[in-house]
Amino acid sequence: MSDILFNVGYGHFLVLAAVLFLIGTAGVMIRRNALIILMSVELMLNAANMTLLTFARMWGDLSGHTFALIVIAVAAAEAAVGLAIVVAVFRGRRNVDVDRLTTLRH
Amino acid sequence: MSFNPADLGWLVPFLILAIVGMLLVLAEAFYKGTDRTALVGLTVAGSLASAIASIVLYRQLEPGQQIALMGEALIADRTGYVLSALFAVVTAMTALMSPAHQREHDWQMGEYYGVLLLSASGMVMLAHAGNLVTVFLGIETMSIGVYVMCAMRRRSRRGNEAAMKYFLIGAFATGFLMYGMALIYGAAGTTSLVKLQALLPQTQNPGLVVAGAFLLVVAFGFKVAAVPFHMWAPDAYEGAPTPVTAFMAAAVKAAAVAAMIRVFGIALGGEIIPYGTLGWASPMVVIAAITITLGNISAVRQDNIKRMLAYSSISHAGVLLVGICALGLGSKTANSGLVYYLIAYSFTTMGAFAVVSYVGSRGRERLLIDDWAGLGNQFPGAALAMTICLLSFGGVPPTGGFFGKFYVFKAAMEVYDGQLLWLVAIGVVNSAISIYYYLRIVTAMYFREANQPFAPNRSGGLLFVIVVCPLIVLELGLMPGWWLRLVG
Amino acid sequence: MKVLLLILTMLLTLGAIDAIAPQLAVADPIPAQAVNKGRTTTKVVKRSPHSDKIESNGKGMALLFWAFAAATIGGALFVVTRRNLIAAVMGMVGCFLGISAVYMMLYASFLAVIQMLVYAGAIMVLFVFVVMILNRPEDEPVAPTGRAGKALGGLAIVYLVGRLIFMLMKVQPPNPLTAINAPAAVELPGDTVGTIERVDWGSVKAVGWDLFGPGLFVFEAISLLLLIAVVGAIAIARPLHEDQDNQSEPFHPPRDEAAEAAAAAAAAASSGGHA
Repeated sequence: MSDILFNVGYGHFLVLAAVLFLIGTAGVMIRRNALIILMSVELMLNAANMTLLTFARMWGDLSGHTFALIVIAVAAAEAAVGLAIVVAVFRGRRNVDVDRLTTLRH
Repeated sequence: MSFNPADLGWLVPFLILAIVGMLLVLAEAFYKGTDRTALVGLTVAGSLASAIASIVLYRQLEPGQQIALMGEALIADRTGYVLSALFAVVTAMTALMSPAHQREHDWQMGEYYGVLLLSASGMVMLAHAGNLVTVFLGIETMSIGVYVMCAMRRRSRRGNEAAMKYFLIGAFATGFLMYGMALIYGAAGTTSLVKLQALLPQTQNPGLVVAGAFLLVVAFGFKVAAVPFHMWAPDAYEGAPTPVTAFMAAAVKAAAVAAMIRVFGIALGGEIIPYGTLGWASPMVVIAAITITLGNISAVRQDNIKRMLAYSSISHAGVLLVGICALGLGSKTANSGLVYYLIAYSFTTMGAFAVVSYVGSRGRERLLIDDWAGLGNQFPGAALAMTICLLSFGGVPPTGGFFGKFYVFKAAMEVYDGQLLWLVAIGVVNSAISIYYYLRIVTAMYFREANQPFAPNRSGGLLFVIVVCPLIVLELGLMPGWWLRLVG
Repeated sequence: MKVLLLILTMLLTLGAIDAIAPQLAVADPIPAQAVNKGRTTTKVVKRSPHSDKIESNGKGMALLFWAFAAATIGGALFVVTRRNLIAAVMGMVGCFLGISAVYMMLYASFLAVIQMLVYAGAIMVLFVFVVMILNRPEDEPVAPTGRAGKALGGLAIVYLVGRLIFMLMKVQPPNPLTAINAPAAVELPGDTVGTIERVDWGSVKAVGWDLFGPGLFVFEAISLLLLIAVVGAIAIARPLHEDQDNQSEPFHPPRDEAAEAAAAAAAAASSGGHA
């Protein structure tokens, strides 16, 4: 027990990232507000980034850092476009609840 | 140092798309007036120049030769150049189809063309990807461009809704993709696809490879709309403007498969990783079987043509996954078969959606199959083009679609010990089923009376696409050997 | 009361800095010292790159890890459970602070700073902007609408992640003997030919060397993605009345200031992403 508590190794970081990924996935699946879904996706990307950095540290390989930097930039771009789409949808129907997006359901 | 200026020569198709895309963004900013013909011309010229550059560079390479560029970020080989030429041509066709649709449905957006070309540059990145980072970036460049294009019909609630659904599901898939790539990276400590192929079989943590490959299967399943992950596709296809739908169905799907050829064929390929109950081929085989079947069964029930084509494209994604499985399980002809299938499928899709765009007019998009009754009498040319494309979708012999399926299934039969025979059987049975719902449209067009006259959306570019695509599809069917040898 | 708390916090911080400062002075590296080693000279910028270790015997580091892990998980749970959007955004900021500290423990100092600047700074501000624009009371219950498919998918995911966690706990480092050491300094070519410069692993210089070496293509190509994002976000979110085809209409709807602000913020955030 004290080994798990006080001997923090790579496993700890990886499990932390996996839990973060699980929370993000759960957020996407159970929430209906588009903004929260978008934030949950950001959580998933952060979990992936933490995994990348842990493995980069484990292998002593810096390409993981480059990858993580690219992911952060992509996440920023994705957030910008996603929020623009949210604003556009809101302009049309005054709410962003994904369960009420039913124009296309037959 | 990994940068060698000579590498830029091999990147010309990519650079042309990127630079012309940036020029278009700049041109739009200073463009006065509402007529955007000049922008369309520049877009078409840029993408055709890129296609020609791809063909020229293709001829410089020996079959099977691979050149690593920019520190293994990219790989130049024949498959890559054939696919990037395909993406460029499909982009040019999309640009030709767009102005008529924009005018008719009132969503003139000059930014559209710049985003289109930049998105295509992401596809070319995917066709040449040699590194997990490039794969990720290519997929994102392509997808974000397409999200934007979907949302550009801003007055349409349906367009916005389609963009929102497509975006949320796409972003969710990105999360899976990225986590899967992180785990694969952890198994070998490198992102280069070629090095991964060598290092992954000797990893100390095979669990990471299994989990990472599974997550990648899920992520690409979302991107190509394979069945448990397909729910976004019909809505997004229906709500997006028709030229964008065509681009999504033809180019985006083909580019995702191009990325799969790289990731699953090179990095996760080899002698060990795909095999066994824990290899990635086993979940993918199941997904492929479900995708082909459910896509077809759902398509039978659709009354809306765009939704029907969406389900049909889901079913085609299943066939493509069969090809990817065959590639991973060591079939020698899978690569050329897949590329042939992608070419045939892309042109067929472009042709079909071009006719859909042609038939719909302002205020009446004519998306229901009943709306198409009598098209054969009034506009025999368009009806003939649609018929050829539908027959090609269904896999009827003298068309490219038939040989595409034939080569992919033949590659699947070559897999050791006939492991994929049952999958081929499912695929063939489903091809037969699919002919039923494609023929529904054909009978509506030829054997039923029109309830009101058609007012098609005439434009030179659109007509050009409607004429050229069926011709290419027929040509693919008449001379399959030449196309197959492109990457053979 | 709040002011008192603030002053107290400041005093405590100052005191802590004061207590640590002498040790910092000792740990401070000896500046640029040239060592002759055969023909190549090694310019040692730092004597020992990291005098700290993640897996040190001291329990302080472990406790810190647990504290930041708790912040990360707590913030993430806050995001997916709050009905109030602003509360969710604040939970997200807390989560990112924790993640940034965890990055520090992974010796990724540059990425830790970027995480703070881009995520907690730019992206979260963008979210706050949009939340303020939408300005809707949250009427959504957290519970999902009962759908068997979603529940089944959720169960499958929980099961798979459980398996994943057990697998991740047993990950074998490639070189177990040296795994617990601080990462070795990265040796880069120095300013003059024939010299080697040692820099911290994960520092700006080391990451930059990788970013502009093997990562050069993606670094350049990502500008295309950011261009799409900037142009696209503005094109989608700008007010409808700015469409050119609409100018002939006599009636102009009231200015959609909210959407304009959103477009500007979106553009600002995505250009911040490239920083």
